[in-house]
Amino acid sequence: MQSVEELIPQLKLLIIKQLNLESVTPDAFDSDMPLFGEGLGLDSIDAIELIVLLDRNYGIKLADPKEGRKIFQSVRTMAEYVQQNSKK
Amino acid sequence: MSPRVFVTGYGIISAIGNGSEENFQSLVNRKMGYGSIEILETIHREDLPACEIKLTDAQLYAIAQVKNFSGYTRTALLGVIAAREAIHRAGLSQQQIRKAGILSASTTGGIRELEKYYFELQDNSLDGYFDVFSDTGNPGEHTERIAEVFGIKGYLSTISTACSSSANAIMQGAELIKNGIIETAICGGSESLSKFTLNGFNTLMILDKEQCRPFDKTRSGLNLGEGAAYLVLESEVSMNASDKKPLAEVVGYGNTNDAFHQTASSPDGGGAYLAMQQALKMGSVKPASISYINAHGTATENNDLSEGLAIQKLFANNVPAFSSTKPFTGHALAAAGGIEAVFCMLAINKQMIFPSINFNQQMEELNIAPVKDLLRDVDLRYVLSNSFGFGGNTSSLLFGSVENE
Amino acid sequence: MNKPVYYINGVGSISPQRTFNNDEFLPEISSYIENKLDCVLPEFKDYINPIQLRRLSRMLRAGLSAAIICLRDSNNQQPDGIITSTGDGFLRDTNKFLNEIFEFNEKQLTPTYFMQGTHNALAGLVALTLKCKGYNNTYVTSGLAFETSLHDAMMQLNADPDKTFLLGALDERDDAQYKIHLRTDNYKKEKINSRSLFDNPTRGTLQGEGTCFFSLSGQPGSNVWGLLKDVKVIHKPENANEIRSALHEVLTANDLRADQLDVLVNGVSGDVIHDQLLAEIVETELSFLPEVRFKHLCGEYCTASSFGLWLGLSILKKQVIPASVLFNGKKPKNPIKHVLLLNQYFGRNYSFILISSC
Repeated sequence: MQSVEELIPQLKLLIIKQLNLESVTPDAFDSDMPLFGEGLGLDSIDAIELIVLLDRNYGIKLADPKEGRKIFQSVRTMAEYVQQNSKK
Repeated sequence: MSPRVFVTGYGIISAIGNGSEENFQSLVNRKMGYGSIEILETIHREDLPACEIKLTDAQLYAIAQVKNFSGYTRTALLGVIAAREAIHRAGLSQQQIRKAGILSASTTGGIRELEKYYFELQDNSLDGYFDVFSDTGNPGEHTERIAEVFGIKGYLSTISTACSSSANAIMQGAELIKNGIIETAICGGSESLSKFTLNGFNTLMILDKEQCRPFDKTRSGLNLGEGAAYLVLESEVSMNASDKKPLAEVVGYGNTNDAFHQTASSPDGGGAYLAMQQALKMGSVKPASISYINAHGTATENNDLSEGLAIQKLFANNVPAFSSTKPFTGHALAAAGGIEAVFCMLAINKQMIFPSINFNQQMEELNIAPVKDLLRDVDLRYVLSNSFGFGGNTSSLLFGSVENE
Repeated sequence: MNKPVYYINGVGSISPQRTFNNDEFLPEISSYIENKLDCVLPEFKDYINPIQLRRLSRMLRAGLSAAIICLRDSNNQQPDGIITSTGDGFLRDTNKFLNEIFEFNEKQLTPTYFMQGTHNALAGLVALTLKCKGYNNTYVTSGLAFETSLHDAMMQLNADPDKTFLLGALDERDDAQYKIHLRTDNYKKEKINSRSLFDNPTRGTLQGEGTCFFSLSGQPGSNVWGLLKDVKVIHKPENANEIRSALHEVLTANDLRADQLDVLVNGVSGDVIHDQLLAEIVETELSFLPEVRFKHLCGEYCTASSFGLWLGLSILKKQVIPASVLFNGKKPKNPIKHVLLLNQYFGRNYSFILISSC
C-alpha cells in the first residue's frame, strides 16, 4: 500500500487530467489548498468527477455525493482516504 | 386582446397505460409504473428500476398501425400512438390534419436505436436492416416520422430543452396559432428509455433505486420514465367553424431561465417563480384563482426544494393544492410536460386532483405539503403545470376550464 | 396593422473559414481535402474567462465565443432572451459518452460528456454567462432547426418589438457520424478539395460545422446589418412546384418581384440528387441573379443556413461579393438591397430566408 506522501503527487496528476485543469501545474497545486469554494473553485459536477476518479483508479465506491464533501476537502484528505480505503 | 387558443384533444401513452382512459384508471387506482427494466437492454435492469412501458417494439408497431420494421424508432412509435389518440379525440378532418402543425419534443430522439447499432453503423463492410437508423440520433427525426404517418404538412418543429421540452412545444403551438401561421397544432413530446439517458442520469447520481418520493423529506432522486403525450390546440376561428366543444383553454404560459447552474436549480427557485408569474400575468389570472398545480416534482433533493420555495413565494398564504405525478409515470424527460398537460386535462374534465403518492414526511424547509390522496368533485377553474430542466430551462403552462362559458 | 420589422443588430460567426472578426470579410479561404471541415477557432480567452473555459468542450467554447462576438458587435450586452438551434447537437461529447458506455460496460462513467452532450447546453451556458433569466428555448428541427428558431424569435418580437433576442445556431462535425452517413450516400465517397465541391456532380456532400449568433430586435441598434423580412420552410416537397409556390408566396408577401432581388444565396450542397429541386427553381425562376454559394466554405450541417444568413448579411453590410463565393460571375446591382437565401438539407428540408437593407 502506498503512503499518503506517495499518493499526493499521483492524485494531483489524476485530478488535473480528470478535471481539465490545464492551467494548474502540480507544483502550484498545494496539498492543503481547499478544492472547493475559495481554493480551486470546483463545483458539484467536479465532485462527481472525483468520485469517478476514485472508483476507476482505486476501486473506491461512494454511493452518496454528500460523503465526498469531507473526503474532497484537499488533496491531502483525499490521499488519506485513499490510503485507508483503496481496493487496488 | 390576444387571440384565444383552445385544447380540443389529447392523447397519451406512458408506463401507466396506453391511452388516456388507462392512464386515468391508474391515476385513480394508485397504480404505478415503477419496476425492473424488462425491455431495454442494459446491465442496470435490476439496480436502476424505472417506469418502463412493458411493450416491445413489435407490439408498439402493431398499436401504432405502422408497417413492421419500417425504421421507426421507439420514440417515433410512442409519438405516433399518442398523436393518433389526440387527433382522434379532437375529431380533426383530413384537411385539418394536412394543414396542422406538429410540434414534438424529445431530448435524444432515437438514440436508443443508434446506440444499439452504433458499431455496426460505423462499419462499412456490414450491411443490414440497421441502415434505417443512421439518422435517428437526430432528435428531429421522430417528428418527421410522425408527420409522415398522418400526412401533416402545415408546420414541423422539434424542441429540446431537457425536461421542460414538451411544455415549450405546447407554448410554441399556441404561439403559431396566435400569430395566424396555423389553425391547428398537435403539440407535446416523446421519449423512450435508452442506455444513454439511463447511464447519463446515473452519472449525475440523481436516480433513486427506490420509488421516487416527491416533496418528501426522505426523497433521494428520480425514477426515469418513458412515454409520449400530445394536446391538440385549435384557434378561435377553427373552433367557430365547427360545433366542437373545447376541453380547456391555454390561458397563459411562461418560459424563463434560472441562470444558476448547468444542471442544478437555484436554491430559491428564481426561474420557477418567474415562469409561474409570467404564465399568470399573460392570462390575467390572480394567484388566488389557481385551483391546482401539477408540480415538476422530480423528487431530487434540489428540484423539490427549489420548486417548493418558488410556490411558497408566489402564493404566500394561499398555496393551492399541488401534487407531482412523477411516481406514477417516472420522469419521462422531454415527454413529461406533455404527459402532465394531459393529466391536467383529465383533472379539469373529471374534476379530480391526482395525488402525490409516496409522500409521507414533511420537508423541514417548506411549510407546504402535496395532496396525498385523490380529491374528487373539485371545481378546477385554473390549473398550472410546471416543467423544469437542465440548462436552467423553466416553463409553466396555465390552463383554464371552459365549463362555465 | 403594419408589417412587423425585425432588425439584425449584430452577428458573430465561427466556421471552417476565418469569420470571427467582423472587421474582415472572408480574408483568406481554407481548403479541406478529407471531405471534413473543422472550425477555424479564435483565441477563446479573448471571450471566455479561464475558470469557465476549463470544462467546456470545443464547440461549447466556440458557441459561447460566437455569442459574445455578436453581443459586442451589437453594442447590447443584455438580451431579453436566448434562442438556439442545432440539428445534431454536441456530437463529439454525445459520442464520447456512448463510447464510454461500451468501453466501461455502463459503469464508472463521467457526467461531463453527458451534460455537455445535451442539445440545450449552449442556450443554458449563454444564459448562465449573461445571467439572462428571460426567455430561453432550443430548436432541434433537423435541417430546419435554425429556421424554426427564427420563427420563434419573430413571434416573440411580434408580442414585444422592444425586446432583443440572441439567436444562435450550432452544429458539430464528428467522425462517427461521418462514417454512419457515408452508408446512405450523404457524404461523397471520393475525396475532393472543398473548393471544388461544385465541380463534382456526384452523390454526397462535405461534412461541415459551425456556429453563428444574431442579435434580433424590433428596434434598430447602432450597428444594423440588415432586416429579416421572411422565413419560409418546406418539409419534403413532392415536387419543384411546391417550392416554386413557396417562393412566389415569399415574394408576394413582401411586395417584391423576382427581378427586384439583387443576390441569390444558394444553399446547394454539391449532391447531384439532393440539389435537383433547387437547381430547377434557380434555372427557371432566378437564373438572372448574381448567385452566391457557401457550402464549399462551411460544409453541410443541419444549421448551415445560419452560415448562409451570415454571408447574406455580410454582403448587404459590406456591399461586396467576395470572388470566392460568387458563382455565375454576374455583377450585382448597386446598391445591393434584397438578398434571398435558398437552402436544402439532405434533400428533405427546404427553406427561404429573405433579408433586405434598411
